[in-house]
Amino acid sequence: MSIEINQENLKTEMGTVEQSFVFESGNEMAAYAAHQINYHVMGYFPISPSTEVAQFLDGMKSRGEHDIVLIPADGEHGSAGICYGASTGGGRVFNATSANGFLYMLEQLPVQSGTRFPMVLNLVNRSVSGPLNIHGDHSDLYFGLNTGWPILMARDPQIVYDMNIIAIKLAEDPEVRLPVIVSFDGYFTSHQKRRVQVIKNRSDVQKFIGEPPRNFPHALDRENPVTIGPYMNEPDYINNCYQQSEAMYNAEAVFERISKEYAELTGREYPILDLYRMDDAEVAVFMLNSAAEVCKDVVDRLRSQGIKAGVISPNMIRPFPQKQIAEALKNVKAVTVGDRADSYGAHGGNMALELRAALQTVGNAHTKVINRIYGLGGKDFYADDAEHFFQLAIEAADKGFAEKPFDYFGHNPGKPEFAPKRVLNPMKKEDLNTGLITVTPDEKTGELKVKIPPLRSLTKKPKRLASGHGACPGCGIFSGLELFFKGIEGDIVALFHTGCAMVVTTGFPYSSHKATYIHNLFQNGSATLSGLVEMFHERKRRGELAELGLSDDFTFVMVTGDGGMDIGMGPAIGTALRNHKMIILEYDNEGYMNTGSQLSYSTPMGHMTSTSNIGGFQNGKPFHHKDTAQIMAATHIPYVFTGTEAFDRDLLKKAAKAQWYANNEGLVYGKILITCPLNWKSKDELGQTIVEAAVNSCFFPLYEVEHGVTTVTYNPEEKNKRLAVSEWLKLMGKTKHLLNENSKDMLEMFDKEVDRRWNMLKAKHESPYL
Amino acid sequence: MSKLPKTNELGFFEIRLESIGGLGANLAGKMLSEDGVVGNGLNGVGFSSYGSEKKGSPVKAHIRFCEPETNIRDTTPIERPHVVGIFHDALFKTIDCTSGIYPDSTILVNSQKSPDELKNLMKIAGGTIAIIDATGIALEEQTKANTAMLGALYRILDFLDPESMKETIRRTFEKKYPHLVDPNIRTFDRGFNEVEFKTYLPEDGVEPKPFSRPEPVLGYETQALGGMITNPGNSILKDLSISRAGMLPHFHEEKCINCAACDTACPDFCFVWEEKPDKKGRPQMFLSGIDYQYCKGCLKCVTACPVEALSGEREYNDGYADKNRVPHLFDLVTQN
Repeated sequence: MSIEINQENLKTEMGTVEQSFVFESGNEMAAYAAHQINYHVMGYFPISPSTEVAQFLDGMKSRGEHDIVLIPADGEHGSAGICYGASTGGGRVFNATSANGFLYMLEQLPVQSGTRFPMVLNLVNRSVSGPLNIHGDHSDLYFGLNTGWPILMARDPQIVYDMNIIAIKLAEDPEVRLPVIVSFDGYFTSHQKRRVQVIKNRSDVQKFIGEPPRNFPHALDRENPVTIGPYMNEPDYINNCYQQSEAMYNAEAVFERISKEYAELTGREYPILDLYRMDDAEVAVFMLNSAAEVCKDVVDRLRSQGIKAGVISPNMIRPFPQKQIAEALKNVKAVTVGDRADSYGAHGGNMALELRAALQTVGNAHTKVINRIYGLGGKDFYADDAEHFFQLAIEAADKGFAEKPFDYFGHNPGKPEFAPKRVLNPMKKEDLNTGLITVTPDEKTGELKVKIPPLRSLTKKPKRLASGHGACPGCGIFSGLELFFKGIEGDIVALFHTGCAMVVTTGFPYSSHKATYIHNLFQNGSATLSGLVEMFHERKRRGELAELGLSDDFTFVMVTGDGGMDIGMGPAIGTALRNHKMIILEYDNEGYMNTGSQLSYSTPMGHMTSTSNIGGFQNGKPFHHKDTAQIMAATHIPYVFTGTEAFDRDLLKKAAKAQWYANNEGLVYGKILITCPLNWKSKDELGQTIVEAAVNSCFFPLYEVEHGVTTVTYNPEEKNKRLAVSEWLKLMGKTKHLLNENSKDMLEMFDKEVDRRWNMLKAKHESPYL
Repeated sequence: MSKLPKTNELGFFEIRLESIGGLGANLAGKMLSEDGVVGNGLNGVGFSSYGSEKKGSPVKAHIRFCEPETNIRDTTPIERPHVVGIFHDALFKTIDCTSGIYPDSTILVNSQKSPDELKNLMKIAGGTIAIIDATGIALEEQTKANTAMLGALYRILDFLDPESMKETIRRTFEKKYPHLVDPNIRTFDRGFNEVEFKTYLPEDGVEPKPFSRPEPVLGYETQALGGMITNPGNSILKDLSISRAGMLPHFHEEKCINCAACDTACPDFCFVWEEKPDKKGRPQMFLSGIDYQYCKGCLKCVTACPVEALSGEREYNDGYADKNRVPHLFDLVTQN
């Protein structure tokens, strides 16, 4: 963070405060501003491309550079709850999110604005999508338009920094008292490193924003108890909304006032609208955020050809600057509005609709408006694309009407000769039913007897996943999953949660799934698959599958990472309590690896991740790992197990049992520990060695819980294989620091917890009633 | 202060790095852009093409430099690079690494191949080809190829001061990994000193290819509804050999006991089995070899092998993988 640039040769913006230059990305600048503001609390949950904001703050925290309490939530809904709760306590609150994460917290946003507690949320714009897309567009932003939060826009990393400082002051202003969103483009702005001028001393930042307001009621004043969020029906509710509406409109003038003060301080001024060469413009392009900058270069070129072109890009879209936009367009013959998200069916994107409304309100019928939906899912917007947008405006100005007022831009029909042609035949049913694996209940005791062949014979069985997936070298997911699938006879329908396994097997137009596969976001896969399971049984009962000549025996498997068992814990427990006939298989790699190795609740204590950094003020993850297997066992489902590929026959037997229970009794939950060489910072070839050591150190005991009865299936103590946890930890770069002298206490605490859980398990093994 | 040798119409000198996740092009790009701006007084921007693809998949890093007072507004990927840095010569198999180059662009390749071989593989009309065996240097110095590539890049980018980059390297490593400072400085210097150049003038009468932006293959008339992929398992069409970073397993059939431990360990399903009669005439599975098209060189199989039937070896420019590949026999629709 914050490598200062030698400023000798740089033109410095004039201001009254001492400033310096850094070379950083938009995400870094949001974090940089937050650390200078020194918020009280940040509740967060990882989602690309905004995750880095929390990562940078965690890194700075480990070096003692700020005091913000960083709370890793169980999901965005949880993070919004943490932030809301914290804001009722009268201190300063911060968050960052994107896309579906924003939508997952959406329900909380009107609660916060409606009860009038300020905070700042950085919305790093990304596509909200069915087929998963992690890149930048404004479909998440547009869902925020009706939340009652003022929305500031930031076209580049400099503005991200400046707007973050303005935002907190705006949010806390007595005339506003609303939570504020700062919106900037995912990847284009969040990940591009730029030269940014910053206020040098954080005391100057704090002086500018002032103390948190003390004259509003909050939840931590026993002398003045308050009821926050009452039950309010008509006739009172509409008055609360009116207050909120007034506050929102006030935000415009307050922003202008703060912006002027900020300009005096730093020399950088942000009017409501960023107008580029609009004074005498006859044609214009209206666009939000980074793409507007691309248009400015094109304006320079067009101007040199004698075309009077300009660009309008608002610095604030809530409240919508209706008056200023109408004024800016007063003498413009035609404007092309680029919307980086569609409002499906509305005959225009949200910005075009609002801009048209602005013109209509002032009675401007002469400015022609052309609207194009562009850049969806992060599709690049090049200078020649911008030129095309100006061309559309020029044509409409010449003709006096817009030939096609609304259309998409940048979509392509594709060529029939390149239409996808199927490559593989379906797997043969007889190959999948080897008959080599048998599970039979004992006639007297009901105990399941499992027979499995040598692994060599099972090499004939087709693998469920195809080669050619894009996982990292040495990834443990696919060896782990396939070993489990080897134990399952017949057909599988799989649902994968969002995560590495999903992303690397389904990069369009390729799929590594040889049988049917479904994706849903990782808070909801258990529920989704339970719906499909019930549809299967009902269609089967009605005879519809038989009628269509379709096969009617499937084993349903929901595959999730450990992250999906954090954010998706609620639906997983619901699915368990309903006892659907399916398997939930968790591959645990001890973190949110898909988004860049953030801590999950399953990350063990002390382990280094990108949100549990190592430094003088922090030593990795501060709390213990989640015992998901025991949580699931407490739902009293028929079968729970743990396994790893290092104990192949153990896992194979458990897979066979899992299938039997899922097909005959109900829900099965299994957790397999798998290696992530990239983020465990371990050697690719040591994948099995590390998980084997995890088992032998009793950190990850192999056991099963059948109808509530626990059996340890492999006891390293009996085999004389028990290792100290340090023998396991020394194999990974992410845990090397735990072997240092100054980690002694933490290591001891971890060791004790491992031992306690292991002894508990042994006691359960001894007694069928525990 | 540094003076840029040439710029495009917006005032930028543009560098594009073509790589595979895990070789460190993203970090190299960050360090390069940072050093240009922080250490050499230019203005600039650095970013990578982000996908959700992982280590071993293609990535690009983009670096733009301009004079300190130039406004940077262009956020788009670099299409017309003055310099291309290619981190792995197997990338040509699947990617048009030299897309958009000028007739006088410089193309740096991490390779053991000759300039003429590379020119043919890249199908370029002219330009300067710079070659550095960055993988070899990295394996010898126990560092990463990106530092050697940076060294070679600094020979090409003679408007930047190599001493300033060495400072950046020192700063990057000294806090967390002080033992890596010296090997990385050595790697950088070797890259700088060992890079070799050959310039090809465009042949007379051969016009440089005009740049055109590639169109996606599929479109709204050919894609299935809802983004559904109706082509199960078609990822077998991919070639992942580019993911290997210098090592691969060799199979020694005579020592194999067909225990399938390798098959369990392999994340990429590279082991090819065949059913044959055993000594007693009963049908039994035998390992026939490795499909190197999918092997990413993790060597998990070598660790898992209880005998010495698999060994981890350096991959040289000798076509070993192609010669010894045992291809999977897939049940293809076209065979019916």
